[in-house]
Amino acid sequence: MSLPIISVREIVRKLSRSWWQGLYVIAAVAAASVLTLISLRDFHREAVPPENRPIQARIAGYVSSNACRACHPGNYASWHASFHRTMTQVATPGSLPPDTEKLELAFNGREYKTERRGNKFFVRTRPEGGSYGEPQQVVLVTGSHNLQILWLERGDGRTLRQFPFGYIVAEKMWAPVTETFLIPPRIKEYYSTGAWNGACMDCHVTQGQSRFVTGNKWDSQVAEFGIACEACHSEGQEHIARNHNPLRRFKIHLTTGSDPTVTNPANLKGPESGLACGQCHSVWAFNDMPDKIDFNRHGAAFRPGARDLAQRFVVQPNAPDHVEQKDFIRHSEPDFFHNRFWGDGMIRVTGREFNGVQASPCFRGGEFSCISCHEMHLDSPGQTNAKTWARTGQLKPKMDSDAACLQCHKDMTARLVAHTHHSAESSGSRCYNCHMPRTTFGLLHAMRSHQVSSPSAQESIAYGRPNACNLCHLDQTLAWAAQNLHAWYNQPVPELSEDDRNVAAAVQWILKGDAGQRALIAWGMGWESAQKTSGRDWLYPYLIYTLTDSYAAVRFDAWKSLQTLPGFSDFPFTYTAPDDTLREAATRGYEKWLSEVRDPNAVYRPQTAIDSDGRFRKDVWQRLRSERDERPIFLAE
Amino acid sequence: MKRPSKHASAGAQRADRNLRFGWWSLLVFLCVGAVLEALHGFKIGWYVDVGNETRRLMFTLAHAHGTLLALVNVAAGLMVRTVERFTLRPSVSFALIWAAILLPAGFFLGGIVIYDGDPGLGVWLVPIGALLLFYGVARVAIDLSKLK
Repeated sequence: MSLPIISVREIVRKLSRSWWQGLYVIAAVAAASVLTLISLRDFHREAVPPENRPIQARIAGYVSSNACRACHPGNYASWHASFHRTMTQVATPGSLPPDTEKLELAFNGREYKTERRGNKFFVRTRPEGGSYGEPQQVVLVTGSHNLQILWLERGDGRTLRQFPFGYIVAEKMWAPVTETFLIPPRIKEYYSTGAWNGACMDCHVTQGQSRFVTGNKWDSQVAEFGIACEACHSEGQEHIARNHNPLRRFKIHLTTGSDPTVTNPANLKGPESGLACGQCHSVWAFNDMPDKIDFNRHGAAFRPGARDLAQRFVVQPNAPDHVEQKDFIRHSEPDFFHNRFWGDGMIRVTGREFNGVQASPCFRGGEFSCISCHEMHLDSPGQTNAKTWARTGQLKPKMDSDAACLQCHKDMTARLVAHTHHSAESSGSRCYNCHMPRTTFGLLHAMRSHQVSSPSAQESIAYGRPNACNLCHLDQTLAWAAQNLHAWYNQPVPELSEDDRNVAAAVQWILKGDAGQRALIAWGMGWESAQKTSGRDWLYPYLIYTLTDSYAAVRFDAWKSLQTLPGFSDFPFTYTAPDDTLREAATRGYEKWLSEVRDPNAVYRPQTAIDSDGRFRKDVWQRLRSERDERPIFLAE
Repeated sequence: MKRPSKHASAGAQRADRNLRFGWWSLLVFLCVGAVLEALHGFKIGWYVDVGNETRRLMFTLAHAHGTLLALVNVAAGLMVRTVERFTLRPSVSFALIWAAILLPAGFFLGGIVIYDGDPGLGVWLVPIGALLLFYGVARVAIDLSKLK
């Protein structure tokens, strides 16, 4: 029995040193190989797609931004810094608001408590009088720099339900989602179960496929979460496959610089280029039910560079196209146009800027588009850092100034003052302030209209849209604006009411306007240019009164504007509080103004309807307040 | 270094040429390294911006290859003196020197003009230099094996 042992020892002794070294090397390589195989098994286990949320999947032709990165590192980096990338993200500690793990919130008779387990976050819900139910995982987060909305697993495949609170980034606060939009106060749920799958993902991801299953069950998948390269450049598989050949690439570099296997919106004519943005940044509707079903199953058939949206169309209320479809919308959803457009068809909600661009006179030239002023990649010389660029609307350098309009209207440089009738340094001489006033609203603030237009008193009388003159001259009447527009631009003076002649237009809008008008004025009263032009003293009582507005979004803007006024920068106010708390805060604010802030010798212009004691003129106030447009409005941004 | 006399063999002269080239080349790429460090230090956008990643890669490769090939030339020159019966063939001496010029020059020129993820046309010098290097290294390995 000992013979084999002896022979092994013999063999071992006879092995040379180099043999031993070789054996050591083989053993080390074998051990490393085993470890690699083990980690590979774990890697595959990690890669199994979750079943409780929409997933990123291989959608024909789409390769994701990871594939673009190697060849376009600069463009990838600026896109990565943009808020398009983060418009929908998988919920992780890095993508969720900082305090998500320890929330205790209550709304509409339910209490919500969040918890964290490892890198996953869960929400437990307790109905009134009941106990906390099973935890539901937070799986996705939508929105980025303004508002973030969390989505929960529903326990039924990839269908999502909304966490009813949104995170307002600037305020670092959570608020009921219904109070982060301009929505009638009676509505307590904005996004229902399945709404993300059926609607939000149409635009908040790249090439989403909702994939309706049955009932309210969805099996949604996307090419990529967020708005990534292929949303604007179309699918990249062929582009990558063809460009594996370096000779092809260098031929393109050294000749046209343009590759037909991919779309570059910067090389398109205005309408096609704008539509690449307008596929999401517009009010659009489906052509018909078969197109809606096709979109739902297979995603958008539109590809950047096309002249129309394929299964969909951009809804312009007064344009002659798609008459039948628009009539159908009017019948099936009577408030559709009212909740999105002013009476003359101008867009009044944010996020739908292409409607404005398309309706602008500049658009008719065929060159004007979104990228006349904005850039999707940080590639202009002299640009600031990526973070600032992303936070300022991805504007090209100097496009926040008159330079934007002077690109075409060069002759205006020489006759600026003659044209504006304001001094050259005045905010009234800035092209934007007159031709792109803040008449759209969304995400809790007023935003510039992207329909380039000229101010008129008629637009305010006929459609209720605050005109640019009175948005800055808050203390002036509509008659004053009409007379100046007549004197300077020969505009006809419209028929004006007694109030239009005697009461400041802004006072009328904030007291008797609809919630959309009130929100614009509440925001506008905090605009520095308007405060300089109109004075600050008389704004306090209006903003304090508006803290009790029935619409949360209006209250929010009144509060933020109030904080811009001296003495109120740290005024505490919870705009989501119950009505009696709101009234208490307003009373507190008013007393503070009267006793601590107000100049006792202040004289208020009669148009402001404030008497010398700092009180509303009762007759005017009561009449205007009783005439308030109480029609429910839901600005569907 | 003692210069080879007029009577010294042609092989020794070639070895000395590689040795001299190696040290001068090392000096050049030492300076290139200092310049690249300065570009980093002063955060020169033309070099460090994310959009210029390809340029940074090309210059880094030029620096790394230039330095390494300078050392290869030094080693080749010293081998003739230290390894008995080993001589540097004229073609090998030529290949190692030109590889040490063409490879880093290709990377460097390729980094001056870039097309997103692609280097400029100068990068086509790199495969020529690589072929010369491959030939030189293989020839030395074979010649050394034959000495056995």
